[in-house]
Amino acid sequence: MNIKIIVKRLLFFVLVVWAASTIVFFIPRLSSRNAIRERFGELARSGGFSPGDIEKLIASMQQQFGLDKPMLEQYWQYLGNIMRLDFGYSLSKYPTTATEVIAQALPWTIGLLLVTTVLSFVIGTLLGAVAAWPKAPSWLRGLATPFILLTGVPPVIMGILLLFFIGFRLKWLPLGGAYSAGIVPVWSWSFFLDLMEHQILPALALILGSVGGWVLSMRGMGITIQGEDYVNFAEHKGLTGGRIFRDYYLRNALLPQVTGLALALGTVITSAVIVEGLFGLPGIGTALNLAIRANDFPVIYGIVIFITIAIAALMTILEFVYPLLDPRIRAN
Amino acid sequence: MTSKDVVYTFEGQIKYDTLPYHIQFADQVASVTAKDDLTIELKFKAPSPRFKFEVLTEKFDTGIPIVPAGYLSGQADPTKAPGRNDIPHSGPYDIVAWNTNQKIYNLREDWWAVKAGRMAEPAVKRVVIVNILNQPMDTVAQRIVNNEFDSSVDMRAQIIGNILQQNPEVQSWTGTESPYGYLDWWPNSLWMNDKLEPYSDPNVRKAISLAVNRDQINEVLYEGAAIATIYPFPLYPNLKAFADSPEVKAEEAKYEPGKYDLDESAKLMEGAGWAKNGDGLWEKDGKTFDATIQAFENIHGDIAPILAEMLRQAGFDSNVNFGTDAYQNMVDGKAGLYMFGHGASLFDPFEALNLFHGKYSNAIGSSAGNNRFSRYANPEYDALLDAIAPLDSSDPKFISGAAKALGIYWRDTIDVPVIQWLHRIPYNNHFWKNWPSSTNVGLGTNGAFWAHTGMLVITGLQPSGAK
Repeated sequence: MNIKIIVKRLLFFVLVVWAASTIVFFIPRLSSRNAIRERFGELARSGGFSPGDIEKLIASMQQQFGLDKPMLEQYWQYLGNIMRLDFGYSLSKYPTTATEVIAQALPWTIGLLLVTTVLSFVIGTLLGAVAAWPKAPSWLRGLATPFILLTGVPPVIMGILLLFFIGFRLKWLPLGGAYSAGIVPVWSWSFFLDLMEHQILPALALILGSVGGWVLSMRGMGITIQGEDYVNFAEHKGLTGGRIFRDYYLRNALLPQVTGLALALGTVITSAVIVEGLFGLPGIGTALNLAIRANDFPVIYGIVIFITIAIAALMTILEFVYPLLDPRIRAN
Repeated sequence: MTSKDVVYTFEGQIKYDTLPYHIQFADQVASVTAKDDLTIELKFKAPSPRFKFEVLTEKFDTGIPIVPAGYLSGQADPTKAPGRNDIPHSGPYDIVAWNTNQKIYNLREDWWAVKAGRMAEPAVKRVVIVNILNQPMDTVAQRIVNNEFDSSVDMRAQIIGNILQQNPEVQSWTGTESPYGYLDWWPNSLWMNDKLEPYSDPNVRKAISLAVNRDQINEVLYEGAAIATIYPFPLYPNLKAFADSPEVKAEEAKYEPGKYDLDESAKLMEGAGWAKNGDGLWEKDGKTFDATIQAFENIHGDIAPILAEMLRQAGFDSNVNFGTDAYQNMVDGKAGLYMFGHGASLFDPFEALNLFHGKYSNAIGSSAGNNRFSRYANPEYDALLDAIAPLDSSDPKFISGAAKALGIYWRDTIDVPVIQWLHRIPYNNHFWKNWPSSTNVGLGTNGAFWAHTGMLVITGLQPSGAK
């Protein structure tokens, strides 16, 4: 790839991160809400907390978190901190830092949301390809049907149904939590099994409703490609069905799917907020949800910037990967 | 722990104005001295009969835990020391694991109370407090039904009722009967900014009070139990005796604080210059009467919409704001009504009445302190309180003075008392028994494990035998 294009893409990446950081800095501050006061309010209504002089306490905390400085000074300091990935202390979980909050939550989201999104993509793409491939056995083609029927069922509805029937009524699987209460996470086989047991229902809630979408788009692409000259040519050349399926059919149909995957990864966080909340999982979605509710700026900044960097990096990588998937892009 | 720690704790309250009892210590305490390792001497500036109970005694969510002088005096700012696992303590359990999912406490083998013969060794060896994050309360309820949880935070009536129906091993404070809970110290009112128009007019405030049908609240929300209230304090035995005293009954008869009368409410509103528009809502200068109720969905999800509907029936333009800005709006004193409690009196009515003392009445434009949302100021009322402050609550002068102050509270409708607060906590007997209840108050009447007295609940549990 041309070095100029690489530099251009990287500059664009930096621009995206800067723009997102700036927007995310100012938006919470447009609100008249005061995170520290709200925190004390929460304490007051949950436990009758009654500080000696709440205004002095709030002022003292504002100073401690640097919220008493002029906005522009806070902004420059904030940009400097971002460069070091230092988002400061969480306002609602002091003395935990925002980076610690993200670090604690991230593995759960990657472990569940990223894996299920990729898994849905792989299962849906393969089933969709098979469903459109006329030479595939009918039982294999029929596998896609139940997933198509479930297409569009939101994860939250699927989650509630699974929780009620599988978790509550049948008691086959736990009703929530990342792992059983009282277990201390350690690298052991029993902990791994317990962990997996708790991830099955959330994973199913995410996968069951989304596989159908990939099936439909891939099947549509597959049907379109079947009539293409290069597929007919390959058949007339006498290539084996497997080779045609893999190199001529699947590979060509895959490009829009990959674009779709990149977009889907960008929306992972939306699902995370809902599904993690429903199943009581301590991932990024839950951390973001709680931070927004508590107006916890540092954690909001940290998570949004982290997501922005992750998605922008992913898109940039995809730009570099496309030519590998499609020689026509490489040639141009 | 010795008297040195006690002196350090008390002197800290005097020194640091951000600590919870700074005002009480600064106003009332002249000196704190350690006489020996086990004795301290407190000298007061004036008689302070309530200080021992209100400030020093651990109850509900208040009281002063004695802090370790050795650890905190070494901190740069002891009021901001993170503490975490490092801070020495005298409790029965040590934190052994703490992450976003849970806190795990293990019983400490060297607990002084067992060694000193003050307590039997607790049967609960490990306490796990699970972070339910933002998991819906319905799912939390299902986890209790499935015996995944032994107890939880308090719940709305319908949810706890369903739990009790589905798992006979689960009990509430009142068994399986409504109202399922015990009285908390947090009776809720519809507060308002008494300095802000139109709420600055006592007749308007009274009109709002007259629109609240407390019988209907009892019927709809509490299956007939008398939970709706006219008092800013809970009816615990001593407070009930005060409420039943002839002095208070006379004031009650005079001002009829619990009266529901839409016609009288309408007359007061008309007298204040309001007229009903085509939608049946009070209107003045082209604007309807903004009676938005600021409230918190997780705790007021049942009562607030009912109140809003009652007020609409009386012509007030009412709805509910469950937004995250609700508390901020109360503190800022915005127009509208604020559903909030009075965390004050437990034994005598002084602290509840003291919430409305003029010295706490902040001006419009400034923030109101917690529990001071009314911003009420009345020298007549202040004089009454100042006169009874040094008196013991059994003193007849205290009772007559407090009754007069309560009369002013009703006369001026400083706020509109609505309900006593219930803690409706499910207790699961599947693994553990001896939970607190109305028939098992051996470990105190507050069954909330999160309160200052929560360890009494946990250390009193006994295994049921289930594995």
